Amino acid sequence: MHPTPRFGPGIVSLLLVGLAPALAWAETPLPPAQQALYQKARAVLESNCFNCHSHAAKKDKGGLMLDSRAAVLKGGESGPAVDDKAPGKSLLLTAIGYEKDELRMPPKGKLGGEQLAALKAWVEAGAPWPDDGTKLTARSRGGITDEDRKWWAIQPVARPTPPTVQDPAWNAGVIDRFIRDRLDKEKLPPAPLADARTLIRRLTFDLHGLPPTPEESAAFEQAHAKDADAAVTALVDRLLASPRYGERMARVWLDLVRYAESDGYKADDYRPHAWRYRDYVIRAFNTDKPYDRFVREQLAGDEIAPDDPESRLATSFLRLGIYEYNNRDVRTQWNNIVDEPTEVVGDVFLGLGMGCAKCHDHKFDPILQADYFRLRAFFEPMLPRDDLPLATAAEVAAYREKLAAWEKATADVRKRIDAIEKPLGEKAAKASIEHFPLDIRALFDKADAERTPLERQLHALAYRQVDYELDRITAKATAEQKEKLIALRKELTTFDAKKPAPLPLANTVTDVGPDAPPTLFGKKNPSPVAPGFLTILHPEPATIAKPANLPSTGRRTALATWLTRPENPLVGRVMVNRLWQMHFGRGLVTTTSDFGKLGEPPTHPELLDWLTTDFVANGWSLKRLHRQMVLSLAYRQSATHPDPKAALKVDPENRLLWRGATRRLEAEQIRDAMLAATGKLDPVAGGPGVDSSLPRRSVYTRVYRNQRDPLFDVFDAPDGIGSVPQRNTTTTPTQSLLLINGVPLIEHARALTRRVEKEAATDEGRIDRAYQLLYGRPATAREQSRLQRFLADQATKLGPKVTDAPAVEQIKMPHRDGKALVVHPKGSPWLQVDGSRDLPEGDFTVEAFVLLRSTYEDGTVRPIAVHHNGDVKQPGWAFGVTGKKSAYKPQALVLQLWGKSDEKGAGDYEAVFSDLRLELDKPYYVAVSVKLTTAGKETVTFYAKDLSNDEEPLGVSPVGHRITSFAGRGPMSLGGAAVPGKPERVWDGLIDDVRLSKGALPQSQLLLSGEAASKQTVNFWRFEATPGLLKDATGTWHLRQAAKPAAADPRHAALVDLCHVLLNTSEFLYVD
Amino acid sequence: MSIDPTGVPHHELLTTRREFLLRGGAGFGGLALAHLLAGGAAAGTNPLAAKAPHHAAKAKRVIFLFMEGGPSHIDTFDPKPKLNELAGKPLPESFGKVITAMGEYNAPLLASPRKWQRHGQSGLWVSDWLPHMAECADDLAVVRSCWADGINHSTGVCQMNTGSILAGRPSLGAWATYGLGTVNENLPAFVVMQDNPASTINGPRNWGAGFMPAVYQGTRVQAGSEPIPNLNPPAAVGGDQQRGKLDLLEELNRDHASQRPFQSELEARIASYELAFKMQAEAPEAVDLSKETEATKKLYGIDEKETATFGQMCLLARRLVERDVRFVQLYSGAGSKWDAHSNIEKNHGTNCKATDKPIAGLLKDLKQRGLLQDTLVIWGGEFGRTPMSEKGTGRDHNPTGFTMVLAGGGVKGGQALGATDDIGLHAVEDRLHVHDFHATILWLLGLDNMGLVYRYKGRPERPTLNEGEAYKKIAG
Repeated sequence: MHPTPRFGPGIVSLLLVGLAPALAWAETPLPPAQQALYQKARAVLESNCFNCHSHAAKKDKGGLMLDSRAAVLKGGESGPAVDDKAPGKSLLLTAIGYEKDELRMPPKGKLGGEQLAALKAWVEAGAPWPDDGTKLTARSRGGITDEDRKWWAIQPVARPTPPTVQDPAWNAGVIDRFIRDRLDKEKLPPAPLADARTLIRRLTFDLHGLPPTPEESAAFEQAHAKDADAAVTALVDRLLASPRYGERMARVWLDLVRYAESDGYKADDYRPHAWRYRDYVIRAFNTDKPYDRFVREQLAGDEIAPDDPESRLATSFLRLGIYEYNNRDVRTQWNNIVDEPTEVVGDVFLGLGMGCAKCHDHKFDPILQADYFRLRAFFEPMLPRDDLPLATAAEVAAYREKLAAWEKATADVRKRIDAIEKPLGEKAAKASIEHFPLDIRALFDKADAERTPLERQLHALAYRQVDYELDRITAKATAEQKEKLIALRKELTTFDAKKPAPLPLANTVTDVGPDAPPTLFGKKNPSPVAPGFLTILHPEPATIAKPANLPSTGRRTALATWLTRPENPLVGRVMVNRLWQMHFGRGLVTTTSDFGKLGEPPTHPELLDWLTTDFVANGWSLKRLHRQMVLSLAYRQSATHPDPKAALKVDPENRLLWRGATRRLEAEQIRDAMLAATGKLDPVAGGPGVDSSLPRRSVYTRVYRNQRDPLFDVFDAPDGIGSVPQRNTTTTPTQSLLLINGVPLIEHARALTRRVEKEAATDEGRIDRAYQLLYGRPATAREQSRLQRFLADQATKLGPKVTDAPAVEQIKMPHRDGKALVVHPKGSPWLQVDGSRDLPEGDFTVEAFVLLRSTYEDGTVRPIAVHHNGDVKQPGWAFGVTGKKSAYKPQALVLQLWGKSDEKGAGDYEAVFSDLRLELDKPYYVAVSVKLTTAGKETVTFYAKDLSNDEEPLGVSPVGHRITSFAGRGPMSLGGAAVPGKPERVWDGLIDDVRLSKGALPQSQLLLSGEAASKQTVNFWRFEATPGLLKDATGTWHLRQAAKPAAADPRHAALVDLCHVLLNTSEFLYVD
Repeated sequence: MSIDPTGVPHHELLTTRREFLLRGGAGFGGLALAHLLAGGAAAGTNPLAAKAPHHAAKAKRVIFLFMEGGPSHIDTFDPKPKLNELAGKPLPESFGKVITAMGEYNAPLLASPRKWQRHGQSGLWVSDWLPHMAECADDLAVVRSCWADGINHSTGVCQMNTGSILAGRPSLGAWATYGLGTVNENLPAFVVMQDNPASTINGPRNWGAGFMPAVYQGTRVQAGSEPIPNLNPPAAVGGDQQRGKLDLLEELNRDHASQRPFQSELEARIASYELAFKMQAEAPEAVDLSKETEATKKLYGIDEKETATFGQMCLLARRLVERDVRFVQLYSGAGSKWDAHSNIEKNHGTNCKATDKPIAGLLKDLKQRGLLQDTLVIWGGEFGRTPMSEKGTGRDHNPTGFTMVLAGGGVKGGQALGATDDIGLHAVEDRLHVHDFHATILWLLGLDNMGLVYRYKGRPERPTLNEGEAYKKIAG
């Protein structure tokens, strides 16, 4: 269902058959003839009149504006420019016709014939103007008028008596009585009820975001045949009781609150604790937390229940905005941080766009500019907190006790560490502080007690940048210091048994203290504004009580309380309407986050009020509300109608609900449904965000603002920057390309094939199973015969040579262009260099771009590139990353060398460890340049560069070693290596652009700076279409998959094609 | 074009695929396609249908050459003799304090060692870093008085693309596509290319559609056999096999749609596969430089190592605008490579060298083909660079005064407009904010920045956030 059909052509899909809506509230776009008149006239106005009569020119000579229809009708000092009732007598015609000496326009000279004719034709047609938001007369500034007070959305919520309708079935439920009454009035008969299988698919997607299993569908169909109402009730109760419900509902909420897990600026740093808020939301929905409580916790959980970690966690809501880690303009950034929740709260809870009022009184709604600042004042004292553990007082005390013991035991080691780190830290902090403007620098010299509340906020924000540098001081240590630090840290780990497990942290807020910084309003003479609600609802300043025993202002509590008062006309209506949209595809108020005058009034105002009253009176229970909606006959209607003619004429957009809707699945639902159908979906709930390559539900995948999963990106998932109340539903060729050609889709098709082959023995059975899994219904006889024919044809086409190799999987590496190779221990295989070859005789350099998803649990090295046959007596090398229990350091770059040394002769082995640690799921450039031959000065230099942050310098780590030479042969491989008699070692993550060079390249010749092959290049594998996925760009040594492609049955391959087609079908992507 | 590694000449493969697609296209989705191409009735509902501008357009297409990281205006187009006089001294108080990104507060002014010369009949000043662009002086309108709000790359690049330093808004290319649609749906209307594999600052949201539907977002295009992501089936899938799949898919989707006659979206989905395959037929040809003469390639510097990459991008841009792609954006130095905090001589020397000849080649080529008159070419970055030094040899970010250069598309060439102060720190004359700059581009495209409205959450959203005024002087 398209979200906002009246906003012009651009919204919905590639192609919409437009039928002129005939209902009163539906806007008619300009018919083509009028549009043509308008466009010609507009061009004339633009080039001849706007210089003196338009907002763009900021001029209204003679009080006249000509840039909207309203302005033209209103006219200027001489009266209306166009006479609505008698257009032919319009003043504009007089002026452009030069009919009166005192009114000749344009003054510089009369318009040419064509231009004159264009304007004349347009005026005479009544000056048609497409709807661009200016059709309403702008409000006068300043006060609130009586007219304003009639605005429907702020009227008290009523409890109207539901009408009685003739049809007894429809008269049984309140929702149905309101809906049917309106349909009867328009003489529109409703559609018949959807069949059982359609209904369970609709309900399961609606309440779980997943398809029903074939078994669930079959059982429901049986129960439905016996007693439809009882079966539906039982199904809805089951769905609402399942934890999958919270996961689905959370997605709706996370869209609204601009949820994402990264900073959204240049570095786009991942926020490791952000997911806790997502889990809070899921828990809240699953436990049916009363909505008023849910709202209050998110706004003021820290004040309302400071001892309850769950309530404090809820304030993460206020921390979901973007953050720029290196902005020296601290004041501006802080100002934006406080503005941000102000707008979001308007969108999410009030259903009003407060953004307009930031700069001026809202042009159409009675929202004053002062109201924006009154609202902002509630958030003014906010202080971001990342240091408060989510634990009870008792848990914190227990932790501290343990920690004290550990601290005591480690005092000596830590003192020695401090001795090295402290001077480094002081230097780094000083340098960091010096980068700020003078006024911010001055804050660092003040004692905290001397700082004003605003200064404390600014200092805290600036300090995050200092802290960022302090986290990185090791990089600035000398080689000698590094060596010492490594040893000391290793010593420190021997006390790990005594160390308490860290308490969970989250991004939350408190107030900066009991006193708020001023909220200033007014450009020329800014004066302080007290917190207050919308003037039209509550003109007096808010009454605020400071909480006892808490250094907090109580402001946010006051806001939360006011919002969730039962009498608040907006908050309940807005949420009821959001749920309605979720189930019916469109809200009773179509514009779910705009209850203002640019939005639309409700189609069924009395129903909206009845539901709202009922919702509030029954403890703000969302599950109850869902239940009411989805048990209604209105909801259970079929998406098709036996006789739609009349309805299509009166209500083509189905606003009156004369039938059910066909809706496209949302991006996450498409992915989840594929995982569910293939049987791969991992039902584990909660926890830190995971990479989207893992088969967890989409709500648990990591959400980066600047790097989006390609599937989510093309299927309109929100960007996590502003509040999104309704998703766009676009239909684009890029979607089709992704679905029909994208490698991940082919992998899904393969998985589905394996499943149906396992679960059914014949073609017929397999087709049927696939239909059940994807569509929730068996294939018809006609479909069976068509698909069986397809299998036979396709198998013939494929012939006997087909293979079933796991495809070489490629995806884009974050912060890099082009496609990288995916290597996964259980999935995409690693690669062997085709043919054996001589090792470079002496020094060499190997480089790659990598992203590591996990390490081995023990000390085993995950290999990036290996040139060794696994025999410890044979020479060779392996470049990789250490495992979790590495004797040295986990997740560090390491080079294993087998060769000759002066000390031990041939057959020596040495693992050369760097102090460069790779963080998981981050893209890096890594390299090792190896010097073997300079007697006495054998060194290996490691390099690592975090590609997600340009500001991070290239990490360089030179380490000495004793191996002096190689001689011999061995197989080379990328992303994995076979070890005789042992399990193979495999990389987990991405690998791209691997280059092997002769000689120990100096830093200036590394791939990172040049990105090209040079004379010293031995091999360069780029994994691009040119010169070929597995080809060496130097043309020397190509790659092949380590796992040998097994010959496959062409009928199996044909079945993969069949499953792939089914995953592309509309029946899979849409739900009735 | 190079030889395909499988041993099959590349263009032959292409021809085969084209033929197959065209043959297949007759049956595949024929109905929906006919409907789509019929224009008339469907034009009002197809979001990409070509739309009439608000007023007569001077430019029909845009090529935006984005020098990412911030090129120094005072070393390229805005000569400041006074700067060299004051070099080595601290910033005089009279110029006012600014917040700089890297915060080297008392760094002395850094001289520009460039040699400056007047060029063309117009006598436009261009430095010796851009000798080839200087040859096009009479086509260039140099706006020396631009200013922006963001002091960091992220905010700067975001604003130069979307008008706001804060993320979330549609990019200029998306607005142009929304306002004007496209006359060639076989290629994306808004195309983005970059010169190296690093991510641009902010990643793909620079060409995102923000709150507008994804259909308006830019598409990354690369040279080679797969210019658009997922354009080709995986190598192992044969033509016959793919066609069998598509035929089945179309049949199943038709069955499904015919049972749901009032869901036009389902027709659109069928059509989207058809369009995807028309794209598959046209896009590789559009990016196939093998059809270009050696002389043309030479003009763009494709024969020289330093200029080959950006030269190819510029030539691709010309091929795309020839095919009526609406908005092409080329990133030079993707990932802030123009960001010369230290050793600006080497940094800008290399970057100017890599781009100067290709850009000049593009301008000359467009002109000789009669395309320059209605193709607007824009050169610039997210900001300029400070007259103060950084680390002794570099320059910090300068959003308070910098240069953008325009050519073609109704722009009057051979003029320098606006001015910065004596050292190039602040724009002082005819100050042009990014909003004004965007309004100017839209105006040249025939769009009124206040009349281009997309309604979102009850707000009439406009590309320049309700600000900005077209700088009409640019048209002479």
